[in-house]
Amino acid sequence: MSRFKLDGLLLPLIGVGVVLLLWQIIAGHVETRKEKDAFGDTVTKTVKSGVSPDLPSPAETWTASKPYIVAPFAKRGELDQGILAFTMLSLSLVMQGYGIALLIGTPLGFCLGLSKTFTKAMDPIIQVLRPVSPLAWFPLGLVLFSSVKIMDGGGKTAFGASDAAALFTIAICAMWPTVMNTAVGVRAVPQDYRNVAKVLKLSRMKTLWKVLVPATLPYMFTGFRLSLGIAWLVIVAVEMLTGRPGVGGFLWQEYNAGSYSRIILCILNIGVIGLVLDRLMSLVESRFKTA
Amino acid sequence: MALIELKNASKGYGSNGSRNEVLHDVNLSVEEGEFVVIVGYSGSGKTTLVNLIAGLEKADRGEVRFDGQPVKGPGPDRSLVFQNYSLLPWLTVTENIALAVDAVFPSWTKNEKSAHIEKYIAMVKLSHAAHKFPKELSGGMRQRVSVARALSMDARMLLLDEPLSALDALTRATLQDDISEIWQRQRKTVLWITNDPDEALLLADRVIPLLPTAPATLGESIPVNLERPRDRKAVNHDPRFKSLRNELINLLLDAKGKQRSTVSKKLLLPDILPEDLNNANNFRFLLRRTPRRRNEEKREEIELIP
Repeated sequence: MSRFKLDGLLLPLIGVGVVLLLWQIIAGHVETRKEKDAFGDTVTKTVKSGVSPDLPSPAETWTASKPYIVAPFAKRGELDQGILAFTMLSLSLVMQGYGIALLIGTPLGFCLGLSKTFTKAMDPIIQVLRPVSPLAWFPLGLVLFSSVKIMDGGGKTAFGASDAAALFTIAICAMWPTVMNTAVGVRAVPQDYRNVAKVLKLSRMKTLWKVLVPATLPYMFTGFRLSLGIAWLVIVAVEMLTGRPGVGGFLWQEYNAGSYSRIILCILNIGVIGLVLDRLMSLVESRFKTA
Repeated sequence: MALIELKNASKGYGSNGSRNEVLHDVNLSVEEGEFVVIVGYSGSGKTTLVNLIAGLEKADRGEVRFDGQPVKGPGPDRSLVFQNYSLLPWLTVTENIALAVDAVFPSWTKNEKSAHIEKYIAMVKLSHAAHKFPKELSGGMRQRVSVARALSMDARMLLLDEPLSALDALTRATLQDDISEIWQRQRKTVLWITNDPDEALLLADRVIPLLPTAPATLGESIPVNLERPRDRKAVNHDPRFKSLRNELINLLLDAKGKQRSTVSKKLLLPDILPEDLNNANNFRFLLRRTPRRRNEEKREEIELIP
């Protein structure tokens, strides 16, 4: 038992330590040197050197990121907020897009699973659309929703074309795992259950809600979980393109501003939030594994 | 008039090339209120026969009539107990039965329905487990739920497809007694399919052997004139029971002995043909497809004789 605890704690720490060490090795060092220039005056020069001179070292990253972590909900300006404030903004957009993806993807998956004709008709389109990158969908979204403009009370645009395009991109990229898994799940409903529905002469709605949906739920939740992972991936690309406040927007802004240490903060934050989302979904998923 | 009538019904599977007929010219009639048991080897087409009567499958030739009308599909007038229980795992015992009751008696009030459901749960002695899920029940209890579900539909006919074959011998015996007792109270028409001759003789008014010829046909029916209730301990020493059992078992064994499969099967030989390694340095040898296998060259047909 103690050995297990040691393994569970020590080995990951060793892994993290090794990565930090490698990071330290390839990161740039700043050296200040005193030199005599051509006029014979002593000047101090700072020189960056190392394998990757512009990459900030772990210590520098921590110093630069500290204000964003210590006050995670601070709002100093539209594009200068605490890291969790940005995360919340991103998450709310992800959830909206993800919601749309599930609302469209689940029924579509059911239709695909139930009807062979529909599958034959739709399969080529789906196979072509599925691997398209979010970066490619976004401009199309802008074109599609160019006329969308909802004003708020103050005369500002509350929901414009770029917001609609962002939701569109998240939804259409995140939808496919849900569609595919639901379709597979519906096809995998045991013939026995279908026979029960037939022998009991259940109506179509009853067959759907009492037999097909519960039997498909475990597959659907696997799809939902994968979809959420993709939605979280897409948000960063979308925010970079729109420049709206959020984790991805912050990342891109800090790159343009040359504060590279905060890029690393963003990456770690995106990773941790992605992990948390996945764990939460797998908790929900395991609750529904009744069949 | 017979309640169920099959006339020269045949059923096969597979497409034209490798079509395999399972049932051939099956004739059967079951009278209202009769308890008929069909006994046969496993894999001889018993489930297909039940599916034909239940309406889950359509006969290729011949006709299947229920109460004079041709069977077009499943209906609540013929309830079915499946071999593997087929309870929905996400519903409790009560909910599983309620699903059937709701479908058959949509006009009833809530109280009528729940009283009806409780009655049938009590009939199979499961009142203590009414709110459990199927996974919390033993195999025997699950099959009781399945029987209660079928009975609760108040169908004119009860079809049971090997209902007890998945259970251990002792559980099977108690369930046989319980179902037999319920039947004596209700006197519904029952068609029971089994692979156990003892079970058949203990329960039935009439036993029909399903002969394992390929395709299978029904044999002459054997009336069982033992008075009810039949005590399984006493009946073992009853000379009439013994002679019926001998007759039935001999009939089935003889049919199996005469059975000779005419199926011819293509043999796929996995062996690799030897290669001439003298040419191994040849350019053409390097570009050849993988080693040749004999089954790509030639297909051998042999007849299987059991």
